[in-house]
Amino acid sequence: MELQAVLMAAGGGSRMMDLTYNTPKPLLPVGNKPLIWYPLNLLERVGFEEVIVITTKEVQKMISTDPKVKLDVKMKLDLVCIQEDADMGTADALRHIQQKVKTDVLVVSCDLITDAALHEVVDLFRAHNATLSMLMSKAHEFTETVPGQKGKKKTGEQRDFVGVDGTGKRLLFMANEADLDEGVVIRKSIMRKHPRMHIKTGLVDAHLYCLKKSVVDFLADNKSISSIRGELVPYLVRKQFSKSTNSPKVIDETHQNLKKNDSNISSRDEELLHLTQERSCWNDHRGDMSDAYHGGRLRCYVHIMDEGICYRVNTLAAYIEANRLAPKLFDEPAVHPSAVVSERCLIGADSIIGASCQISDKTSIKRSTIGVSTTVREKVKVTNSIIMHGVTIEEGCNIQGSVICSNAVIGRGADIKYCLVGSAQRIEPDGEHTTASPHLMSKACSA
Amino acid sequence: MSSRGGKQKKGNVTSEQEEEEQPLQAVLVADSFNRRFFPISKDQPRALLPLGNVAMIDYTLEFLTSTGVQETFVFCCWMSNKIKDHLLKSKWCRPTSPNVVHIITSDLYRSLGDVLRDVDAKNLVRNDFILVYGDVVSNIDVSQALQEHRHRRKVDKNISVMTMVFKESSPGHKSRCEEDDVIVAMDSKSKRVLHYQKTQGLKKLQFPMNIFQHGSDEFEIRHDLLDCHISICSPQVAELFTDNFDYQTRNDFVRGILVNEEILGNQIHLYVTQDGYGARVSNLQMYDSVSSDMVRRWVYPLTPEANFTDQQGQGCTHSRHNVYRGAEVSLGHGSQMEENVLIGRDTSIGANCHISNSVIGNNCTIGDNVVLDRAHMWNNVHISSNVEIHQSVVCDGAVVKEAVRLNKQCYFSMLPVSQVVIGPNLSLPEGTVVSMHHPEEEEEDDDDEFLSDDQEVGHSKDKTRQKAFNPAEVGPEGKGYIWKASMNDTEDEELAQCLWGLVLNPDPESDSESEASEESQDRSRSVSPEIDDVNAFQLEVLGTLQRGLEENIVCDNLVLEINSLKYAYNITLKEVMQILTRVVLEYPFQQQGTQLTTLQYTGSLLPLLKTWSPVFKNYIKRAQDHLDCLSAVEELFLEQDTHQTAMVKVLMKMYQLEILEEEAILKWFSTGATNDKSRQLRKNQGLQKFIQWLKEAEDESSEEGE
Repeated sequence: MELQAVLMAAGGGSRMMDLTYNTPKPLLPVGNKPLIWYPLNLLERVGFEEVIVITTKEVQKMISTDPKVKLDVKMKLDLVCIQEDADMGTADALRHIQQKVKTDVLVVSCDLITDAALHEVVDLFRAHNATLSMLMSKAHEFTETVPGQKGKKKTGEQRDFVGVDGTGKRLLFMANEADLDEGVVIRKSIMRKHPRMHIKTGLVDAHLYCLKKSVVDFLADNKSISSIRGELVPYLVRKQFSKSTNSPKVIDETHQNLKKNDSNISSRDEELLHLTQERSCWNDHRGDMSDAYHGGRLRCYVHIMDEGICYRVNTLAAYIEANRLAPKLFDEPAVHPSAVVSERCLIGADSIIGASCQISDKTSIKRSTIGVSTTVREKVKVTNSIIMHGVTIEEGCNIQGSVICSNAVIGRGADIKYCLVGSAQRIEPDGEHTTASPHLMSKACSA
Repeated sequence: MSSRGGKQKKGNVTSEQEEEEQPLQAVLVADSFNRRFFPISKDQPRALLPLGNVAMIDYTLEFLTSTGVQETFVFCCWMSNKIKDHLLKSKWCRPTSPNVVHIITSDLYRSLGDVLRDVDAKNLVRNDFILVYGDVVSNIDVSQALQEHRHRRKVDKNISVMTMVFKESSPGHKSRCEEDDVIVAMDSKSKRVLHYQKTQGLKKLQFPMNIFQHGSDEFEIRHDLLDCHISICSPQVAELFTDNFDYQTRNDFVRGILVNEEILGNQIHLYVTQDGYGARVSNLQMYDSVSSDMVRRWVYPLTPEANFTDQQGQGCTHSRHNVYRGAEVSLGHGSQMEENVLIGRDTSIGANCHISNSVIGNNCTIGDNVVLDRAHMWNNVHISSNVEIHQSVVCDGAVVKEAVRLNKQCYFSMLPVSQVVIGPNLSLPEGTVVSMHHPEEEEEDDDDEFLSDDQEVGHSKDKTRQKAFNPAEVGPEGKGYIWKASMNDTEDEELAQCLWGLVLNPDPESDSESEASEESQDRSRSVSPEIDDVNAFQLEVLGTLQRGLEENIVCDNLVLEINSLKYAYNITLKEVMQILTRVVLEYPFQQQGTQLTTLQYTGSLLPLLKTWSPVFKNYIKRAQDHLDCLSAVEELFLEQDTHQTAMVKVLMKMYQLEILEEEAILKWFSTGATNDKSRQLRKNQGLQKFIQWLKEAEDESSEEGE
């Protein structure tokens, strides 16, 4: 076994509270599949047979009953629960399962929907014997109007500055705009080693990391690091260019320990690798005669996707966008065989109808997702919307650009535009709701 | 000459056809405006120094001509006559020359800025022009850069004023000039320069945030660029130099444009060539590397055998291992020219010599058993037998006697009249400079660094000092002065180092520079500056008060000043008061020395207290302030223990002036004692009496109150 897969599915989805109030984030339906299905499928596609899923008790229960996960996922799921209220970061979680980690790990977040070629990331990890390799993608502009937002909101988040070398693979610099009061500061020695640095700002971190086992061991020794993205990755990136400090020594030592133990295959490889590196004339850089990687032990790499789908479903906007794109990821029939769809209705090719739905006459569904066991009565128009499971939409409704959570009931003739309807909500008949009121509705549901 | 009437800022609309018709112009600055090649450049302007047996300015002109320049303005200052003579004799001034050369001389040019201001004043340029120095060796075809530049100017309406030409060359490359070690931040797509900085001596490179806020999401930071000192300039550049009379160098200009980019809207772009060659011979190290690159044919088609200057007898043959021989070269039995050797015409070489990586000029004689490696010998040099020369420059007419050994980085300056003679039997250490000029005369000329007509002065002094050559330095038969030995001046030492440029360190701040030190720096940064700030603030307060006394400034204004200082140094109110108290109480010591008697001290202090009491009152308001002030007083008198008796007087005065309240004083007296010393202090008789008195006064007042 070369890599162990770890899936982080304990996050609360704090940036989309309206949606995650009733359904935990890993189980939010995206294209009628729970969100967690996507990273699991990604791992399964590349041949993982086992995955450690770090999650909460609540989610564990729901996962084990979720039909989709049960039927579709053939991998062995090793569910590890952590306390919900412990406020553990991703690095804490990794530390929690240190005992289970026997080799290098591939850490994936549960909110990742991507068609990325995973081997690109792993190949970087293998080819350069890297400490860390990660996946990033060009940021997408969200085109859809988000319920509850008037006009286009500028993303309030501050940009990440990512510096890569001339090949665009080696990760040299990483910082958030918020921490850069004094401007971007780069040591000259780094520039001497990597004279060409591309600084990119419009990137999303897919939160997919290949990490050396020694890094997990290092985490176990350094309890102060609690988040992979926030602390560990920037730390490793920085440490690439400094040798004689305490903490990388820890990593070095563990490297050596590995060697001494010689109990597993990868460590024997390690020695061979060093030998080949010594004997080989291969070099990772041009322009000077120093050793490959300038003798550095720590190496961080990043694969930046130029095209393809890569979303992190952590905001409402991303959730809507992901729903729109999810059908493109698979060749599954848009209309589930068990759904009862009247022949005299109009269903756009870009829509999905879930299992055991009932769609009545004269309805029109465009660019929408209709969840499992949803009933849509006559003369209903649904455009650009996400309808979750078990929703009932009465006659003559007009739903546009909205998200309707599970088990809601939309009264006859309601006109809903750009709204978010909380789960199990009842919308009065003939009501008209536009962007002005959605928050009231979502609040009502959470109250 | 110019069709342009008056100055037009931006938007002088020239149609495309017109642009096509106009000949491409170039401004060639045939002066370095520095003294890197001193003392060689004392007798020969830098542009005329031979490189591969051809004057450097010829390379520059050839480069300009081959890139399509049809009109070149050569600006000369230092020894302009020599340059003029040289150019008039050269092929550039023949009627068939495709490049019309105008020579403009003036003794008043002190910098590149002066030259370009003159370009503007004389209205010489009509369109985009190429700006180069007279010591640039290049084979870059700038026509593509020119095209890009013109395209940008058409699209962006004259926003781009300059395109700098760079050559890709990774750090540590031999032909990289350490002085020109630059870091450039640019927009990846538009090739726009956002930040430009020389990195020499820097450990950390800082890029201000505002350069990343241009809407683009991809930037590039490049450290692998060698400045070729070739720039394509818009006519506005000359105007901008006129408008900003403080721009002296191109560096000033670039930085000025980038800083004022938002105001003036001018931009600078860059063009990077990968396969061309371009370098400026800006110091001896560059001279060495450019010369060897030339011999190794990196600057093709500018090669030694090409004889592009089209001079009679300059031709030479090229054979294996890059060995070039001029006409009439005689080579003794058993001599080897290993590789990369260029030998000028009429040179004779004795037997059993080993020559590699060297350039030998015309009319040289070299004896037997000579070893030359990376030697640059100019014309008419005489080398006797058994000489070893490594990485040195031997200038015109120098004579090296028998068995002399020149180690790395020596060089001899030449004088046309009397030549440097070295040896015999001498070994010169690394970095020696020998010249017929006495170093001291150079020091005397220092006041007028750039003045060119001090040459005569130098000559006259030369004669008076001709007598003493030091045989220990230049050998028994030697003639010449060692430069470095007599240079104790720091500035001159610096200069001597600069002759060869900076010594290349493989990696000055290597990996040993650990994060730990960085972190500790961070930690210390959070603590230490505060102390510094407090100290600085104390000094500032002292200065303010001093000035207040001298100039009779109203106390209100003093308060204002102190407040602004408070913000400048980020000082808390409590500290302000403590520092103020301390400064005032120490003031007499400050002014009259620490030897004051107590009586003198109180005599000079009490009036001061009275003068500054409004300042105190401004800061001492709450009960805590009173206590803080008192503890500051106490602290000071604990330090100045000989003057403790004065303390009671100070307190009395402060009480009388209503700076301090009696309650506070009593409270301080009863509770403030924290250690033995302060307890000791409170046992002072005078103080006890004062407290007693205060207590009684209080009782009385309270009785009165009832």
